[in-house]
Amino acid sequence: MKQRILIIEDDVTIQLQLKNLLIGNGYDVESVTDFSSVIGQVKAYEPHLILLDIKLPGSDGFAICSEIRTFSEAPVIFVTSSNTDMDELNSIMLGGDAFITKPYNTAILLAKISALLRRAYPSEGQEILNWNGTALHLEGSYIEHDNQRAELTKNEMKILYYLFKNAGKICSRNDIIDYLWDSQLYVDDNALSVNVTRIREKLVCIGLADFIKTKHRQGYMI
Amino acid sequence: MSGKQYLRNKLPVILINLLGMLALALFLSAGGVGIQTILFIGVIWVLTAVCYLIVVFLSRKKYLDRLLDMTEQLEEKYLITEVMTVPERAGEQVYYRIMKMGEKSMLEKIGRIEKERKEYKEYIEQWIHEAKTPITAMKLICENNRCDFTGELLIELENMNRYTEQALYYARSEHTEKDYLIRETDLEAVVHGAIADNKHLLRQNSVAITVDDIQEHVYTDEKWVHFILDQIIGNAVKYRTEQPALHFYAVKKGDWIELSVEDNGIGIPEGDLPRIFDKGFTGQNGRTVQGSTGIGLYLCKRLCDKLGIGLSAYSEGEGAVIVLSFHINDFVAEVQG
Repeated sequence: MKQRILIIEDDVTIQLQLKNLLIGNGYDVESVTDFSSVIGQVKAYEPHLILLDIKLPGSDGFAICSEIRTFSEAPVIFVTSSNTDMDELNSIMLGGDAFITKPYNTAILLAKISALLRRAYPSEGQEILNWNGTALHLEGSYIEHDNQRAELTKNEMKILYYLFKNAGKICSRNDIIDYLWDSQLYVDDNALSVNVTRIREKLVCIGLADFIKTKHRQGYMI
Repeated sequence: MSGKQYLRNKLPVILINLLGMLALALFLSAGGVGIQTILFIGVIWVLTAVCYLIVVFLSRKKYLDRLLDMTEQLEEKYLITEVMTVPERAGEQVYYRIMKMGEKSMLEKIGRIEKERKEYKEYIEQWIHEAKTPITAMKLICENNRCDFTGELLIELENMNRYTEQALYYARSEHTEKDYLIRETDLEAVVHGAIADNKHLLRQNSVAITVDDIQEHVYTDEKWVHFILDQIIGNAVKYRTEQPALHFYAVKKGDWIELSVEDNGIGIPEGDLPRIFDKGFTGQNGRTVQGSTGIGLYLCKRLCDKLGIGLSAYSEGEGAVIVLSFHINDFVAEVQG
């Protein structure tokens, strides 16, 4: 089941783009369009998580947050362009779970969202990814095929995670490196090649030859 | 008040006395008074006059010195009329009134300028916050619609964001009292955050990044340190060489935790090093590389001073190291247990 995220943001462009971004990352997304009845829309949609701007027409984000807290425990992320400490303090005191300032880094925003969702709804996360009879274990950091296991390093794990998430699709080298940077692994083009070669060697050991296909000039694919 | 000046001011009095003495002597000698009596009267006269001059001089000097002293101790010297006693002499009272009027018009002017500055600062802050909305929107549009040129657009957006942040912190750096929040800060997280904010710039320029395992936590304002690192990263890319590399690491030295950012760029000439934190200083590198403003490091220094962070730069020929030193005081040590 997809998790629901509600966007409360008055800038139409950001609202739309944020919606696209989150839908692209596998969430179910709604955004508030009528700012005179925000609370009603929150109650109707019952989101798992709320992205809340502070400056809004009508009542501001702080007031909305404290009202939401009277009936819901869903994580609230304040997303705002004003980054004064008073705002940050207020947001924490009124029950906000995170405070992100514009212009936010989308990777950081997505990471925060998934971390908060995992904390708030522990059972709903999945720790094993499957593709073609091969299982990637996130917790133990190993890959399993035919009861054979291969341990993975942090870099290898992240590369495989990205390929598994986009299984069946071509992943460009650029996108993979981008994803690794977002995971705080600052690899370059050469290092990526080295890592992929090493993963392939490990995969051969557990009987998986040619699991990762190279698409000439395009990238990798599983 | 010097004695010489005092005597010169009293010259008319002295002359009148001498004249009076001369007239009296002539009058008395014409009346047949003996020379000894005249001399005696003369000596008494001179003694009395000299005594009078000395006593007045000393009391005036004491009074004026005290006034001078008071003014010097006063931080806002133009407020002296508020603390001094109203003088008794007619002439001085006029001066006192003039000073009062001067003070009033000065205070009015200061008040007006302060109000204007405050309004301007508020406007700048508000403007920056508004400018961030379109920057965010553009960033999101780029990330949602990847194509050939979005990477370059994102770099420009990162630059734009760095400049707006600079303006914001410049406006804020004057009134920092109310705008920082000292909290336990994970240095490694701040470093990763600053790198993330410059991801496209760093990737486009193929900067090799190394972040050592930084265990240290410090007590400081996270967003200010983030801003400072942002500026340092921007500089490292601006003054890069062929194969740029950036290395972040932290060491503990006694009571200090030092966070270093080391690059292998063109370095800073020895002669320029002492002045790189000066406002508007661009130095030799500023002449060879475009876009040096001499504001970034100046602001960093200013913010560091206010936060009690040490900021220093080292460079020997090639490459430069910028070091942020965070003090661990007794209080912090106690809190950390």
